[in-house]
Amino acid sequence: MRSLRRFLSRLFNSATRRAREDRLREEIEEHIALQTEENLRAGLSSVEARRQAMLKFGGVEAMKQDYRAERGLLFIENLLGDLRNAGRTISRMPGLAAVIVISLAIGIGVNTTILSWIQTILLKPLPGVSGVSSFLLVEPRMETGGYPGASWLEYRDLQTRVPALRDVVASQMVPFNVGETGQTERTHGQLVSGNYFSALGLKPASGRFIRPEEAERPGTEPVIVISYDYWQTRFRGAPEAVGQKVRVNERDLTVIGVAPREFQGTMLPLKFELWAPATMAPALLGGTRDLEDRSTRAFSLIGMLRPGATREEAQAEFSTAMAQLARDYPEASAGIGGEILPFWDSPRGPQRMMISGLAILQGVMLLLLLAVCGNTANLMLARGSTRQREMAVRVALGAGRWRIVSLVLSENMLLALLGAGVGAAMAVWGTTALRVAPLIGAFPIQFQTRVDEFTLVFAMLLGAGCGLIFSAAPALHLARLDPQDGLRSSPNTPPRSRARRVLMGTEVGLAMVVLIAAALFLQSFRAASQTDPRFRPEGVLLASYDLRGRNPDDASEREFAARLLERLRALPDVEAAAIATNVPLDLHGIPARSFTVEGRVRTEAGQDRAITNTVTPGYFKVMAIPLLEGTDFADMRDKAAPAQAIVNEEFVGKYLNGAKAIGRRLQTRNANFTIAGVARNSVYAAFGEPAQPAIYLSYRDRPASEGEIHLRTRSGNETALASEARAVLRDLDPMLPLYDVRTFSQHIERNLYLRRIPARMFAVLGPLLLGLAAIGIYAVVSYAVARRTREIGVRLTFGATSQRVVLQIILENLGAIASGTAVGWLLALLISLHAIPNGDFDVPAFVGVPAILLGVATLACWIPAWRASRIDPMAALRHE
Amino acid sequence: MKQKADVLQGTLALMVLKTLDVLGPLHGYGIARRIEQISGDLLAVNQGTLYPVLLKLEQEGAIASEWGASENNRRARFYRLTREGRKQLQVETKDWEQTAAIIGRFFQAKAEDLS
Repeated sequence: MRSLRRFLSRLFNSATRRAREDRLREEIEEHIALQTEENLRAGLSSVEARRQAMLKFGGVEAMKQDYRAERGLLFIENLLGDLRNAGRTISRMPGLAAVIVISLAIGIGVNTTILSWIQTILLKPLPGVSGVSSFLLVEPRMETGGYPGASWLEYRDLQTRVPALRDVVASQMVPFNVGETGQTERTHGQLVSGNYFSALGLKPASGRFIRPEEAERPGTEPVIVISYDYWQTRFRGAPEAVGQKVRVNERDLTVIGVAPREFQGTMLPLKFELWAPATMAPALLGGTRDLEDRSTRAFSLIGMLRPGATREEAQAEFSTAMAQLARDYPEASAGIGGEILPFWDSPRGPQRMMISGLAILQGVMLLLLLAVCGNTANLMLARGSTRQREMAVRVALGAGRWRIVSLVLSENMLLALLGAGVGAAMAVWGTTALRVAPLIGAFPIQFQTRVDEFTLVFAMLLGAGCGLIFSAAPALHLARLDPQDGLRSSPNTPPRSRARRVLMGTEVGLAMVVLIAAALFLQSFRAASQTDPRFRPEGVLLASYDLRGRNPDDASEREFAARLLERLRALPDVEAAAIATNVPLDLHGIPARSFTVEGRVRTEAGQDRAITNTVTPGYFKVMAIPLLEGTDFADMRDKAAPAQAIVNEEFVGKYLNGAKAIGRRLQTRNANFTIAGVARNSVYAAFGEPAQPAIYLSYRDRPASEGEIHLRTRSGNETALASEARAVLRDLDPMLPLYDVRTFSQHIERNLYLRRIPARMFAVLGPLLLGLAAIGIYAVVSYAVARRTREIGVRLTFGATSQRVVLQIILENLGAIASGTAVGWLLALLISLHAIPNGDFDVPAFVGVPAILLGVATLACWIPAWRASRIDPMAALRHE
Repeated sequence: MKQKADVLQGTLALMVLKTLDVLGPLHGYGIARRIEQISGDLLAVNQGTLYPVLLKLEQEGAIASEWGASENNRRARFYRLTREGRKQLQVETKDWEQTAAIIGRFFQAKAEDLS
């Protein structure tokens, strides 16, 4: 207690230093005056009286020192002094400080941004829900590796059979057509179990949530919970919204509550608007048997770990439960096990892909930051050497080693933290890049990225870490300084600093790695945006429809598609029209299915797989993919023709060894098809992919409830077709909305969006890093050269040509740079082999980048060397 | 030599407290005089060392200080014992007496007492 009080008082004293100093002076004066009077009374002369009084008092300065040490906190005062000093020093070198702060800010900003993205996916998979760390995905898993989801009855069984999970909630993603007949709009919602909201621990923003008994028996209560955004946009946030009726899939549902603001459902990054009890499924999905049929696996499950339970326990119990279910219901559950997965490893959604991509990106960016640190250390070291004399004076006046180190440290820390502050501000701006991600596919997507305390602390720690890293070398260098040497040595003694060379080499090596990574990224992105997709996306309009709310059967789906196409082809501006289940270059990919084909005997284990897309006749015309052999599919209403398939060139080459394909039998999706034609290869999943074997099936044989309408315009203005297409669909079915209308170019653009972010990052950071490396080299060389002015003068006097001098200086420095480059190059090669195992050796990246880097480095050496060689030998010799 | 100075520092604080306890509020010079009178030569050379000790005691809350008028009517800083200081003095006096007694007994002990 006493020591705390003393500490506080000292802290306060540190702040009010001046007043205290005055008080002490006054006290001393008074003391000596009183003693002098005493001495006078004892009979001494006035001069002698005062002298004796002073003698008796003792050393005033030494006492003051004690007093000060006693009074305040020395280290805080020193720190403040150091900071003041650092501020002064920095303001004396605005250019250098700006370079350091900006380069650090960029490095830290980029890293903080990426961390906030990773954090969004990894740590906040359910925005608006707290305690997510105990939440796990409960996924049934087929022997073949697929994750089919769980059936409703299975979910009810699992609720009690996995005791390690305190709660299990079920949800199913469903399309909702909301509104009155003729003006429906399409949104997405989730059908959820009764415990959904309570188990997630959510509090309604208004009204109440679904009660467990409302999801017990089918059709109990037609209620719905709306999202906060939906509440704000459709009801303007009015409290009366609760209790109102909303027409969803031609049923009237009563709004009972509003979800909290940030909550967007349980399937990141999809953003849902509506939640209805799972037992509403038959009513909303046209009499579906989801709730009774064990083989309809429509639900996704999330389990919450009981306190103290582990994921391994849950996994063991889940496996046992699934094995039991497989025995009890062999026709629906045979061969289905289960896996408990963390959210980031979700088999649905882009998490897996993004996490691995972002982890690589973060690694590369940390290297970039390290390179920036190396650069800064070098600049500081070069500067520190010119300060040798200043430091020597300080040491001679009694500054301890630690004081010198703390002086240098506080200067650098100030710079580093300034950089971190600016970097954090940049990160705030950077996080919005993912937030504003456009609609991807038919589903609204939202990433709730933000800079929070966690990321801010990360930024500051990065700053402090950087400060320590680039302080170490200069601080050690200066602290080891012998004051006598420092004072005596004239700046003409050649420096023998290996540290600077090593740092320069390291920095260039790191820059090498980052630059090659940047080049590879940009290369793949350019390949993505410039490669010919081998079909013609220009002039094509895409739009989706979904019959699932209608509980359609094969016949009605086929009939609907046929009538829709007839009406669309009748439009004057439509050159060709088709429907397909999948669109190439979709972010969600195109499914690959196993198949067998006549004439192919597989020798190794496993199954052959090919991309499958189900399309109507006319598809190849719309896409401008030529048929190399055979004919297009039979007409939609043709009842006589056998089930048909069209394969692509790659399929023929890979599985039939180029033999004649037409007429062969093919089995896939549990049915037989006859190959009717061969289409040219085109791009399916991603630009730059190797040629993929593909099978097209006909809508006539395999109708589907969902369809992507493809329209090729005659006039070249595909957007003009949108309203006409809408009118046609409304005519056919007033309740069915046409959604996700976009041009094919827009569709591709969306696909590229997530790849564009890192590409842009690298496009900016690459040249920047190159510039930084050049500045670093330039600073080191020009400093070294300046210190050798006299030596150069001597050489020139003795007849060395200026070219020789230049060459020598360049070669001396290029040695360090070249070895750094070589190490960096090897490292980059290893990383690229690891990250892209089957990738080609990228010549521009692995040859071009080192060439550019070495070129820039040579130039950065050459400029100061050339300048030094221009010097007049006489002036150089006189130079002090 | 060094040790002697350390002991002095500790005992000096105690002496200051005792002086203020006995004589009431005093300025620095008064305290110094008083200690000098009682302790003989101990403080004869460096009266200045008193001030850091006064400051430390004040920061600990054992004494308080305020400006007042000295004998010759000039401004002087007067120190007085606080309640906490009085408590501290009691405790430390007891501690000191105990320590002194123990040390005293050790010095009086003969070889046969320790065996």
